[in-house]
Amino acid sequence: MSIKINKELLCELLEKLCKIDGASGQEDKVRKFILDTIGDKCDCRVTPLGCVIAEYKGKKPAAKKLMISAHMDEVGLIVTGINADGTLNINCVGGVEADAVIGRQVRLESGIMGAVGSRAVHNMTEEQRKTAPKFDGLYIDIGALDKADAEKQVSLGDYAYFTCGYAQRDGIIRSKAIDDRAGCAIMLAMILENALPYDCTFTFVTQEEIGLRGARTAAFDAAPDFALVLEATTAADIPLSEGDKRCCVLGEGPVVSYMDRSTLYDRELYRLSVKLAEDMGIKRQTKTVIAGGNDSGAIHISRGGVRTCAVSVPCRYLHTPCCVINEEDYFDSYALSLAMAVEILSGRV
Amino acid sequence: MENEENQMNRKELAELIIRIADSEGVSGNETNTALLCKSELLRYTDKAEIKNGNVIAHFGERSDKKPHVLLDAHLDRVGMIVTSITEEGFVKADCIGGLDRRIFPAQRVMIHGRENIEGVICTLPPHLKKDSSVMEKDQIFIDPISDRETVSEKISLGDFISFDSPCTELLNGRICGAGLDDRCGIAAIIKAVDSLGGEYDSLPYSFTVMFSSQEELGERGACIGAFDIDPDISIAVDVSFALCGGEDPKKCGELAKGCMIGIAPSLDRGLSQWFINHAKANDIPYQLEVMNGTTGTNADRFSVNKRGSKAVTLSIPLRYMHTPAEVIDTADCELTAELIAAFLKAGDVK
Repeated sequence: MSIKINKELLCELLEKLCKIDGASGQEDKVRKFILDTIGDKCDCRVTPLGCVIAEYKGKKPAAKKLMISAHMDEVGLIVTGINADGTLNINCVGGVEADAVIGRQVRLESGIMGAVGSRAVHNMTEEQRKTAPKFDGLYIDIGALDKADAEKQVSLGDYAYFTCGYAQRDGIIRSKAIDDRAGCAIMLAMILENALPYDCTFTFVTQEEIGLRGARTAAFDAAPDFALVLEATTAADIPLSEGDKRCCVLGEGPVVSYMDRSTLYDRELYRLSVKLAEDMGIKRQTKTVIAGGNDSGAIHISRGGVRTCAVSVPCRYLHTPCCVINEEDYFDSYALSLAMAVEILSGRV
Repeated sequence: MENEENQMNRKELAELIIRIADSEGVSGNETNTALLCKSELLRYTDKAEIKNGNVIAHFGERSDKKPHVLLDAHLDRVGMIVTSITEEGFVKADCIGGLDRRIFPAQRVMIHGRENIEGVICTLPPHLKKDSSVMEKDQIFIDPISDRETVSEKISLGDFISFDSPCTELLNGRICGAGLDDRCGIAAIIKAVDSLGGEYDSLPYSFTVMFSSQEELGERGACIGAFDIDPDISIAVDVSFALCGGEDPKKCGELAKGCMIGIAPSLDRGLSQWFINHAKANDIPYQLEVMNGTTGTNADRFSVNKRGSKAVTLSIPLRYMHTPAEVIDTADCELTAELIAAFLKAGDVK
């Protein structure tokens, strides 16, 4: 089986999607981009929680109903208070570590910039220097003179986003929000390329990062027999981590898990992924740690149950401003998930 | 006031600060910043050169009849240096200058190899981290955004690394970025020279502008630069702590409240007092920074240079020092420039 991969399109879509700000609960701009991109190729509807359910018409009806799903939301920050000195208290939306936020610039949803500062290292005790920061002590400095000045620009509940831009070089991509715009980009590419010969339901879901919430409702709405979840997953193949602790490794292909903290994946689909990767001559790996979870956790127990598999792009520094992936893993994730979709839709599973 | 409309306004000053702050310039690798600053100074004098890493420019005819003043700010910024490269292509680094490793995880950096290659400071995912620990000095690894072959071809041991956090403008004329310490000091001196309107020989002082290297490693550039210049009076323009959440108000100045005039046993009290008196008499906002010994700035070197010089430190308040998100207020930079220019015109301190 040979699959045509439009690498240029995949790269272009990923860059555009990653540059959009859309944390859990504020996926509006991502949704608009998706609807603008595929609105005329699919029959799209939007659920009360903001998920896009896109019904793709292929040349043939599908033997089984398949839902291919990725989440639109990214991790971010939310303003929880405004201090007398005009600085903004913040907390994380989704699993962000305070040490990935401190000492860098952020962009408020209104577009104004801010610094997440830290007291000068010169003025800290040895003990303080060795203690990781907590969100409690973090704030955004937008240059406001005082509380009233800040209130002119910011309201409680405003979101703030990482600002690290997008870099692509020598087969490596670095950006915020690769989790899970990579999954969204793969789905958009499948639709734009008319890659599937069968009818298929694509769901672009919300609020994954705060508890798989959009996927739960989208799965109910779509009522599929099978689900294919496209994700980015933690790779820890860096110095200070070795052997199985690396979870998965960049450059070793898409990750298909047999189990994580939310799901025991359908074993037949897992075996199918191994076989298809072999048949296509592409790399494939599985995680060496049972950790994390994704929308599969909500989807596989939707209604009377959904046979579910997840294909993930291995990603270093997940949930930080600087996610790092390998291009080939991303392209191969497209190929493997497409091959699996065809197998499922044709009724061969 | 004759040339006021030709003088640098606040917007142009902000642009100058950002231009200089965004240049490379980690201690020991200041060449790009030095070249940029030299070209800025060449707009005001043709006697600007780079000597042993320092930018040096002379203004006015030096003679025995006039005291000679040194205006200094440091070129360098904190950063890192490549100490080894792993088989997998990760770059191991050590710090240059005092850095806060709590802010390291997933920071974006630029490795200045045979070409610039971006990188990300490695951090373990939460489930592999020990609780609330901070990476040790010997655990700083950088993940270059490149392949193994390019890394081994383009990056060498000893290459410099800077935080990749270009300046952005915040509200109220405030600027945020990685290289503001002490590039805002450089901008203040250039702004002061700019405001003299080209009239140097008629001043009561001759003066030399020095933008010095390696301050963050122990004022080394200042040390060798001052030896040649041999000033009678030295003004070190640097940054100091501005109050922000987490800092002790007793130990900080405040943003937008003006230049922090240094008072210390190692500084010349008459010189400090001149700045205080002038600011008071002319309603120029200012703040005091009292230290109980030396200052930790280049003034410590200038005061004991050769047979000594009267030295003072003028500091621009800065929040979040030595992080990629330092914050200053352009107004403080402007007020500092105003004091320096007034000093050069007055000639009260001999």
